[in-house]
Amino acid sequence: MNHFSALVRQEPNDICIIDLSGYLDAHTASDLEKIFLTAYDGGCRRFVVNFTDLDYISSAGLGVFMVFIEAVKRENGDIKMAAMKPKVFTVFDLLGFPVLFNIHTSVEDAVNAYPAP
Amino acid sequence: MIAFSNHTEYITISASTDSLRTIREFISSQIEDCGFTEFEENGIVLAVDEACANLIAHAFAHDASQSIEILVAVDDRDVRIEISDTARPFDPGTIEHPNMDDYFRERRVGGLGISLMRRVMDDVVYKPATQGQPRNTLVLTKRLAG
Repeated sequence: MNHFSALVRQEPNDICIIDLSGYLDAHTASDLEKIFLTAYDGGCRRFVVNFTDLDYISSAGLGVFMVFIEAVKRENGDIKMAAMKPKVFTVFDLLGFPVLFNIHTSVEDAVNAYPAP
Repeated sequence: MIAFSNHTEYITISASTDSLRTIREFISSQIEDCGFTEFEENGIVLAVDEACANLIAHAFAHDASQSIEILVAVDDRDVRIEISDTARPFDPGTIEHPNMDDYFRERRVGGLGISLMRRVMDDVVYKPATQGQPRNTLVLTKRLAG
């Protein structure tokens, strides 16, 4: 049984939405890292991560975003987070991650936060 | 309403990240209805996940033939979780607690599990193996409010 999935959608305005679902922990973080890397190698720099269906995150999951944030910001991109459940947001908040990542209440807000290319 | 009961349970799991979900479900089932808030319950589950993920990666180098024993003891004052192993001693307390401003400035990756454990638990105590006690034990304690 697959406990985690991450699917990439290409959207207008050069935005890649990554839809997460399930449990993102030290077991599944490598799956997300591969998917991020594929999208990054494919040229995506404007990420929106959709947390709507993510039920759990541990520090291994947060580490994946740390791997890519510097590279995408250096090229005028970003990783914007959206629609976190409170228990998932708490983990980001406990470690002060909202300082580094923009966290939006909805995917639409996160998408609209990107200027036109 | 709190349906409280003193109890002690344990499981033995293989040192593989594949076990993390089983660990979380075990901890969750042991601490529910003990009087912790949902926020506290989530934090306790997270702390145990982080502790075991560290052990699996750093102490056992993902050797799934090795095992970790987890004991949960609940009474009317607190929950105590003892995570024990026979790996080379690895005291998470020796890992420097990162200053998060520096952490973000330097874009470091990893090493956050210990910080999370300390933030959500009341006590994090490491007891390395001795001649009389051949297992390393990490003891995580969370006290019940009031």
